[in-house]
Amino acid sequence: MKTRLLTFINMLRDAGLLVTVAEALDAVHAVRIVGVERSALQDGLAATLLKDEADRLVFDATFERCFPLLGRHRGKGQRPEPSGDESSSGAGRSGAQVRSARPQERPDLPASDKPSSLRERGPRIHRTQSSRSRLLIGRRRLQAIPFAEMSPQDIEGCDALIAELAQRFRAHLRRRLRHARRGRLDIRRTIRWSISKGGVPIQTAFRGRRPSTPDLVALCDCSHSVATASRFLIGLLHPAHEFFRHVHLFAFVDEPIEISIEGGALAPHERLDLYARSDFGRVLVRFLERHESLLSRNTILLILGDARNNRRPPRADVLTRLGNATRRLVWLNPEPTERWNTGDSVMNTYERACDELLAASTIQELHAALRRSLCPG
Amino acid sequence: MNRTPDITPELVRSGLQKAFYLTTPRVETVLYLALALEKPLLIEGPAGAGKTEIGKVLACTLQTELVRLQCYEGLDEARALYEWNYQKQLLRIQADRAGDLEWSEVTQHIFSREYLLERPLLHAITAPHKVVLLIDEVDKADEEFEAFLLEVLSDFQVSIPELGTVTARHRPVVVLTSNRTRELSEALKRRCLYLYLDFPGVEIEREIIRLKVPDLDAALREQVARFVHGLRKLELRKVPSIAEALDWARALRTLHIRELDAPAIRQTLNLLLKHEDDLRRADGKIGSLLATAARRAV
Repeated sequence: MKTRLLTFINMLRDAGLLVTVAEALDAVHAVRIVGVERSALQDGLAATLLKDEADRLVFDATFERCFPLLGRHRGKGQRPEPSGDESSSGAGRSGAQVRSARPQERPDLPASDKPSSLRERGPRIHRTQSSRSRLLIGRRRLQAIPFAEMSPQDIEGCDALIAELAQRFRAHLRRRLRHARRGRLDIRRTIRWSISKGGVPIQTAFRGRRPSTPDLVALCDCSHSVATASRFLIGLLHPAHEFFRHVHLFAFVDEPIEISIEGGALAPHERLDLYARSDFGRVLVRFLERHESLLSRNTILLILGDARNNRRPPRADVLTRLGNATRRLVWLNPEPTERWNTGDSVMNTYERACDELLAASTIQELHAALRRSLCPG
Repeated sequence: MNRTPDITPELVRSGLQKAFYLTTPRVETVLYLALALEKPLLIEGPAGAGKTEIGKVLACTLQTELVRLQCYEGLDEARALYEWNYQKQLLRIQADRAGDLEWSEVTQHIFSREYLLERPLLHAITAPHKVVLLIDEVDKADEEFEAFLLEVLSDFQVSIPELGTVTARHRPVVVLTSNRTRELSEALKRRCLYLYLDFPGVEIEREIIRLKVPDLDAALREQVARFVHGLRKLELRKVPSIAEALDWARALRTLHIRELDAPAIRQTLNLLLKHEDDLRRADGKIGSLLATAARRAV
């Protein structure tokens, strides 16, 4: 049994799960306590080795391979197959996981040394996956797909994921605002607090310096290859708008058009021709002409684009001017880093003018890039 | 003080039954493991699925006290572990001033247990018998607190400078819950056993309703369980919890509603959904959800 267990743990590590030595020891102790009855064994090993529900699929598959269900050991007193209802519901839990909840009829929890018969519990894989669990596994996969390889179904599925990430982003921003750097000693408050302590200043008050709320201006490239990334970026930025003083969102292909969010849909203020060919230089010039008033020392300017300029003039001088006029200029590039500066991409020309250039080719990277550029700011 | 009963699977099962906490065998196994291995248990899952309840059930099962530490942003050692009662100490010093005492005598008085404000963690460590320590919503606290918690959980030992080191005579049973609003640190996760507690399936929810709202009609109960189950699959800001489902069942009973139909649902939907957007989104789906619920309630 011990060797089998060690094999199992090594298989988990090969599959990408991180299992520490301490957890392996716990697993051995757990097996000793719950016994080798299959379902209890799986639950016991999961409790000690599986620390994130998103890894459930991998864990179950590895368990299947390592401890296969032997046909002839079907147990007695098995529960009948779940009725058609549960399995046809698809996303719902398999009925096999649901016990008959009348308390007296609970099956025995095997913990003694006698190996009890294996309980037949229906299809093993479905048993352990609830709909939410599967959702988490799916989300992890979605987070790591590069934008260029996403299918339309993936894009649909991402909306919920984006909503959740937006909430996490907001929580992060809120925390940043709270942790104000400690300022100078606030004499008045210290004395006031010392009154209740009989005149002894036990508690000292400091005039916390709150980081000022910046403005945010985001320019999103909406040309065909990058449109998905822009959509997700707006999905992440929009719920966080209360943490910035002013938020302005622009979409562009060859012309910057301001957009606003109304009732969950994007509403461009003017007509945006999505089939034009990208012209970053022109966009920057027009933006500077028309919207220079939006930029100030307090503004963070985000540009999401692949810097593929169709061999038109890049106008990096305008970008430098924009960078000088704002607090920070951050460029997010949704292409994988290998593809930068290939073909008609002028990334290195623009790079010199930016304060920060970040890769954002998957949702995970996009989220991390936003946190990095907007949070300490 | 009660002697803690022996840890057996039967104890766990009967404890869950007595508390009317209906759940799957996996949860029973993991609870039993946590008690037998004496390791902390980390329970993650959506809000309202019954994570906090497990702490209370464990306390009842072991016939012991539940010490609860509710975490929030900015929770620090002073509010979680201990704090000196400054005001009382100052008053004592003022009172002693007349007596003209030596400093050593004064310290003897004011740095005693009497002047120590015991917060939940210290209370759990110094308890004369084994207690259940429930650290609720640990994902709301920040990373510094997690690091501090890790230290406490590994040794169950606290050094109070003036009083010395306090070691726990009986290691408490530790249950941590998290709503997954942020990723917990690896170190904390590695130290704990893990349980993902999701909302129950239709059958279990039906039985929960039967236990907690006994005089509800059986067919209606089935419809309620299926309706709530379907509602949870929608994209909502806040999915209805088990407690809210029970409230709804009680409301239907109080209003003497015999059967679920669209007007009855519309009238009482705000017991299940607490956000305006969710109410609007569900409003359109009531018809289809009802159809599914009715079709399967044979």
